Amino acid sequence: MEELQGRWHDLDRLLLRPGNLVGPGFEPCAELRDLLQNDCKVLVIGAGGLGCELLKDLALSGFGNIDVIDMDTIDVSNLNRQFLFRIHDVGKPKAQVAADRIMQRVKGVMVTAHFCRIEEKDVDFYRQFQIIMLGLDSLEARSYINSVVCSFLEYEPDGGLDYSTIKPMVDGGTEGFKGHARVILPGVTPCFQCTLWLFPPQITFPLCTLAETPRSPAHCIEYVHLIQWGQDRVGEKFDSDSPEHMKWIFEQAVKRATQFCISGVTYSLTQGVVKNIIPAIASTNAIVSAVCALEALKIATMCSKGMDNYMMYVGTQGVYTHTVSYEKDPNCIMCSPGVPIEVDCSCTLQECIDTLLNDQRFKAKLSRPSVSFQGTNLYMQAPPILEELTRPNLRLSLLSLMGGNPSGGVLNINDKKLHGVLRVRVSFSKEMDTT
Amino acid sequence: MEAETDSLTEQETAVYDRQIRVWGVEAQKRLSKSRVLVVGITGVVAEVCKNIVLAGIGKLTLLDDKPLSEEAVASNFLIPFFSTEDEGCCSIASICAEALRDFNPMVHVFVEEGNVIEKPGSFFDDYDAVIVGRSSLGLRKHVNLMCRNRSRRVAFYTVDCRGSSGAVFVDLQKYAYSSQKGNAEIWQEKHFPNLEEALSVPWSSISKKTSKLFFAMRIIEEFEQCEGRVPGQISCEDLPALMALRKKMCESQAVGDSMVPESVLKRLADAGNAELPPVCAIIGGILGQEVVKAMSCKGEPLKNHFFFTASDGKGVIEDISPSQ
Repeated sequence: MEELQGRWHDLDRLLLRPGNLVGPGFEPCAELRDLLQNDCKVLVIGAGGLGCELLKDLALSGFGNIDVIDMDTIDVSNLNRQFLFRIHDVGKPKAQVAADRIMQRVKGVMVTAHFCRIEEKDVDFYRQFQIIMLGLDSLEARSYINSVVCSFLEYEPDGGLDYSTIKPMVDGGTEGFKGHARVILPGVTPCFQCTLWLFPPQITFPLCTLAETPRSPAHCIEYVHLIQWGQDRVGEKFDSDSPEHMKWIFEQAVKRATQFCISGVTYSLTQGVVKNIIPAIASTNAIVSAVCALEALKIATMCSKGMDNYMMYVGTQGVYTHTVSYEKDPNCIMCSPGVPIEVDCSCTLQECIDTLLNDQRFKAKLSRPSVSFQGTNLYMQAPPILEELTRPNLRLSLLSLMGGNPSGGVLNINDKKLHGVLRVRVSFSKEMDTT
Repeated sequence: MEAETDSLTEQETAVYDRQIRVWGVEAQKRLSKSRVLVVGITGVVAEVCKNIVLAGIGKLTLLDDKPLSEEAVASNFLIPFFSTEDEGCCSIASICAEALRDFNPMVHVFVEEGNVIEKPGSFFDDYDAVIVGRSSLGLRKHVNLMCRNRSRRVAFYTVDCRGSSGAVFVDLQKYAYSSQKGNAEIWQEKHFPNLEEALSVPWSSISKKTSKLFFAMRIIEEFEQCEGRVPGQISCEDLPALMALRKKMCESQAVGDSMVPESVLKRLADAGNAELPPVCAIIGGILGQEVVKAMSCKGEPLKNHFFFTASDGKGVIEDISPSQ
């Protein structure tokens, strides 16, 4: 195995397992294999197109303890790429079938399945893994995991990162011939929040276009789906899995299209638009997942230079890959040491909380925030006994609560609405109150 | 290979829905009629087979008489783990065939016995594409010529994964294909050199920016041939001899030794016959898609080499053809 090189030197303090740290003079082959086999726990989120490939690649690469989580059951349209599933598996939980098949094929690997939503697992579930692999198909799911993993980060008061709290994530995504693989080391490389702008905006058609001036078959379909259904089938909740509902949408969409002299409404397109179907093929998933698995291998064994940090793959014309080194947002609300806010020296804790609730950057993410500073609870919304105990602090000066240090410091904000923690770096404006 | 007017079955339409949305019904129909021969099954070849079977080719024939062994299983996902009593009981091809039929019952998977060198020319008439895995240069050249001597074009591919690197070679002869340019579908043509021609291009006329893996693999190939080794049967102990051969070959090709860095040769020597599973999956994904494109006559083909190395994560296409 090649020696640790380049950019990741500073991560050699990364603890991959609690307790023993493999020393620099080790004999590469045997101990590394043991580490992968016994000490490294990996979580694969998603047992679909990427998940099946990830499980295979990780198991064959020597990882011995893999957990997989997926809330879906198997559909016939999965079979063109999710090769761990067979026609007679349709309807069964993906995570369970995938785990069983991998264990059948690869000697010695332990794969534990979780058939549930990722939100149903508490934060400590995710804490037990050394590496988290993402084979997801939505932005929301990625954001959720991102906030959980970023909440594990611990910063020193001076903003220095405790590297042992970094939990690496490797994320893959595909659509048709295109895909990406990226390595996220929260606090070091950009997290999802830092690069939210990378995701293309979801296509939504303006209502006036749908209602008055449709031009494409998709416009006709969406009109029937979003507007006409509610008018003609009052009180009925639309179910995209119901063949009758889909057939109705299709037939009405055809009528509308004919009315506007638009061609191209097919049943297949109707399903695609209404269900937001992502076209998918086996080979793109195979490539992207394998790139992700390679990165996991490098992270676990430090055997080679890691990806820095985002690779995109395009297979439409020939083969094209491009790797970009994105930078994190120093003021990221998820992974930075603290999002800057400025308050008056005389500001009370209550006023500070009010400032946060009115700040555009986080008001949607907060409802009833609790505040702590360097491990001390300044104000807790719950349980009632703590709330009562800390309520007097609300009237006190924030500056005094933060140790009287005029250069400010970092507050940790917790809230039911947040999946993680919001770190806020408070600075006090120079003007002193005259009273 | 013309697309017939009969339509896809209901099961095909249901299972292939997501990919039909990518390449269309006509391409899927052509795919369903295609017949592919695979010679020599290693980990990367198993990955290619998985991808083309899932895509729904018509027929896949596996030709590999090697018996089952622990070595063969290490990076081949198609072979479940087995006990040592089973070792040597049946051929790699038959076990892989069983697994592939399971992945997609709509594909006809066959096992062919014997040595491909002994097959007559007419044998290759039954195929639209032939993929040759790790093998001697002699065997690859032989099969390539057989493919070219048929009245209908038989697409020819080779693939080999050595440790954390790998390479693909493509020969589609004179190939016409359709591709998307904006909203229009246009037809284009590419001319491919055969394997002999591609490997005869003088090194001095090849750009210095070309992947070093191309040259390194030529040296390994030459070494294995001269020493009478089974391809892959090398180790770090052979490095001094490989370096001496490098000097000799670079001299005769009138290029500097720096064309083939020692580190690249060392990595290949150290790898021996091992294949890193994720690298097999990447190269298998790339080649799988090439075969799908050629069988459906849709999409720009890769011309004519592809190289991948895990150490820098780079996958590159190199066109190494004789100048017209």
